[in-house]
Amino acid sequence: MAQRFLFIAIACMLLAGCSNDPHPPAFHEKRADGTPWQVSYAPFPDDPRSLDPQFSYDTLSHSIICLIYESMLQYHPLKTDPYELVPCLAESMPERISTPDGHPAYRFHIKHGIYFHDDLCFPEGKGRELVATDVAYAFQRIADPKVECPVLSTLAEYIVGLQDANAEAQKKGSYDYTKPAPGIRVVDDHTFDIVLLKPFPQLLYWMAMPFTAPVAKEAVNYYDGKTHDGITREQFKFKPVGVGPFRLVAWRKGLSLRLIRNDHYITTKFPTDGWPAEEASRYAAMAGKPLPFLDELYFRIIRESIPAWVLFRQGYFERAGVGKDVFDTAISAKQELTPEYQKRDVWLYKDAEPATYYFLFNMQDPVVGKNPKLRQAISSAYDFDLENEIFMNGIFLNAQQLLPPGVYGYQPNFKNPYRQSKLDQAKRLLAEAGYPNGHDAKTGKQLLLTLDMTIDDAESRQHAEFQKEQIERLGIEVKIEENLWATHQDKVDRGNFQFTSYGWHADYPDPENFFFLFYGKNAAPEGNNYCRYANPEFDKLFEKMREMENSPERLELVHRLNAMLVEDCPMIPLYYPVVFRLSQPWAQRVVLNPLVFSGPKYTQIDPGLRRQKQAEWNRKPAWPLAVIAALLAAAGIFAFQWSQRHD
Amino acid sequence: MTSYLIRRILYMFPIVFGVMLITFLLFFVVQTPKSMAQRILGPKAKPEAIQNWLHNRGYDKPRFINAEPGKHWWDSQFFHQMKSLATFDFGNSDATGERILNMFKHGAIPSLLITVPSFICGFLLSLGLALFFVSVRNSKLDLGGIIICVAMMSVPIQVYVIFGQWLVAVKTSYLPAFGFDMAGFSTAKFLILPVLLYTVSDLGSEVRLYRTIFLEEIHQEYVKTALAKGVSSTRVLFVHVLKNGMIAIITLVVASLPFLIMGSLVLENFFGIPGLGNLLLNAIHTSDFSVVRATVFLGSLLYLFGLLLTDICYAAVDPRIRLQ
Repeated sequence: MAQRFLFIAIACMLLAGCSNDPHPPAFHEKRADGTPWQVSYAPFPDDPRSLDPQFSYDTLSHSIICLIYESMLQYHPLKTDPYELVPCLAESMPERISTPDGHPAYRFHIKHGIYFHDDLCFPEGKGRELVATDVAYAFQRIADPKVECPVLSTLAEYIVGLQDANAEAQKKGSYDYTKPAPGIRVVDDHTFDIVLLKPFPQLLYWMAMPFTAPVAKEAVNYYDGKTHDGITREQFKFKPVGVGPFRLVAWRKGLSLRLIRNDHYITTKFPTDGWPAEEASRYAAMAGKPLPFLDELYFRIIRESIPAWVLFRQGYFERAGVGKDVFDTAISAKQELTPEYQKRDVWLYKDAEPATYYFLFNMQDPVVGKNPKLRQAISSAYDFDLENEIFMNGIFLNAQQLLPPGVYGYQPNFKNPYRQSKLDQAKRLLAEAGYPNGHDAKTGKQLLLTLDMTIDDAESRQHAEFQKEQIERLGIEVKIEENLWATHQDKVDRGNFQFTSYGWHADYPDPENFFFLFYGKNAAPEGNNYCRYANPEFDKLFEKMREMENSPERLELVHRLNAMLVEDCPMIPLYYPVVFRLSQPWAQRVVLNPLVFSGPKYTQIDPGLRRQKQAEWNRKPAWPLAVIAALLAAAGIFAFQWSQRHD
Repeated sequence: MTSYLIRRILYMFPIVFGVMLITFLLFFVVQTPKSMAQRILGPKAKPEAIQNWLHNRGYDKPRFINAEPGKHWWDSQFFHQMKSLATFDFGNSDATGERILNMFKHGAIPSLLITVPSFICGFLLSLGLALFFVSVRNSKLDLGGIIICVAMMSVPIQVYVIFGQWLVAVKTSYLPAFGFDMAGFSTAKFLILPVLLYTVSDLGSEVRLYRTIFLEEIHQEYVKTALAKGVSSTRVLFVHVLKNGMIAIITLVVASLPFLIMGSLVLENFFGIPGLGNLLLNAIHTSDFSVVRATVFLGSLLYLFGLLLTDICYAAVDPRIRLQ
């Protein structure tokens, strides 16, 4: 009997010693100078698919890649209207030059003293200095078919030799890395030119993306995924070696990624301008300081949103997105924090994403594609504000044009004449389109339109029903075609739809990255003009606009292109998404630019406050131990008495 | 016995082939390799990139029979995949390019850490409770126990998980609500709650099942004889009834043993345990057909192996049964 009670006591003691903190201990308690070691804990929705900068084209992978690798340029972390590029690995912004044979080109100068992370792939494990051939090697990898760079065809349109190098490698079955890199002219160790086929001002944005980040040949060759001397090496895509502010020290698939600061990092200092005036004192304290502030980053992979939220509430994550499941818990009807979260001193951020969502008409469809008045009528009838209230908690921004805020050419006061939710105007336009009250003027038959949607749950079905009803207010009948994501994408690619909903997230904040969705020569399935809009005048203006640097003339062209889309109405702009995010009181956010993926580079935390709040929010009551002990004791006594009785 | 085993092993081949054929068909009915590529490369990927991806993985070959002139008829997606599975060369993940065998190796241990303790605890607890209910059969306690068991059977495992996380991790802060770490003794704190929930969620059905088996035994003549000879009811229950009842129970339990390695889809997903259950679920979400294919293949082999093991156990524990 005594043994049983001892067992119960030990079990209770062990349980009492447990903590609900899911994170492992940090690498160090303190830094070499005695100050606290700063670790940031963040949820991560899935494993990155690959950490190869030339291959990855998804935001998850970029969120890690941009901490490990850096590119020639980067976005200013605080400026969003307009967005601004600043040098990163480059000494200064590139010069526009002309090659002796007349090709336009950009000349880049690389900063001196930038070193790759210390790694086994380098002699004696010491990272070597970054040089221009590392950038050239990145461009060779872009052209290598085995790397599967997803933006090759876009870049090959502008960069000399990229297409030929790729075609030759495909023909021979392997890429010849001994040949000079396509489109790159290495001038000296710290200078190189990118030679273009035609003017390409958007190249600067591409030079801020991971695709063009320099890569060490030693790392690619060393991490080949094969066994050497009995040791199997990782593949390069899982073992990144860059020049960025952090280096990857552990990636446990499905579990976590751990990064620690690169002690040799000197590339970027905290900006000295661009912050909002009301937060001048906070930002001024960081201005000009070496980065990163954090010593360690711990990303916990959490595929479900609820556990991530629970851990945020317990103080074990620095930030959280406010999803639909928890929106009412954290956000009041006035779109402010609820009293409970105000009491916790949590920070609320409302971030407009550089993206636009819209209805897209198939311009090759004999009904909607050939009848601009019909498209204008549908556009005029649609009440997005109501949709926003019902389905999006009223937080999204009503879109009046294709370009989202912050993108060059966005007009804040622009009112789309066909997006004012005026039913009378819509009905008049519908009659002019040949369908008075939604019926064909010639045959008297009710007009039937098919709306293709991605529907994978009850809510998306309700959403589609709402959209159908909005359009049916005109007297038209709308049939909803339900699709899975893949089927929907396939239909859109093949042009097998009448109208559908779609969205575009900016790769970079240039109007070219939005208007090319309607460029005739970019028609699907080869390109991204899914609605197959073909307007020679639009194409001509677009071709002119995309090759221009930002200027009043370019701005005027952008406005004209916008006006054309509004009048022709191949799409109905609906909304710009807004995301509500929360940060803990000890981890107030710094970066304001949604295009910056390397946010943790600029972030700092207050470990003392975190410890204090975690203790406050995770107090362990004694009663569960008492209950367990009592239950076990009762069961033991009962079993003992029962066995006595039955013997 | 030997000829029976050889025959059973030979039966496995057409069954596994059928399973793989159905998996192949189902997967490609739901989505084409092109849409898989699109999902993996992202909606912005250009057609050339998609074509390149398909080509590098052999998804641009004909589906079943290659009728192209100069090509072998078996140079198709299905036959290539069957060949690689038959040689246990699972290849690489479509989504990440990681070796699938490595993914299995990494996933098996976390899965076993959850399923083996749950299995042992659940088995012993169910056995004990079933024997107890048999000993108090036809009493109010027995009736109450059965009602509780039926109620426990009716509650989906997700409810147990949500309630368990809320009570143990959120309200009382004793254990983590989520997470896993292979770090010696501290791994235990991540296992207690999932193991407890796994055990409890299966308890209702298992107690009922074992109780029924033991009830059948307790009405046998040998039990009456033992009691008539003056053997105590506890001894009758724990020696005679338990031993004979175990013949039926072992055959049931053994079939599920190979499956322990496959982990639990729900628990691993809710607790973020990187086991094989989580691997399969994630592969389905991300359209990673190569991982789904390899996992289904492994699952079907384990299932058939479990059935074979059951038959062998029958013969081993019950001398009256001879396998022919």
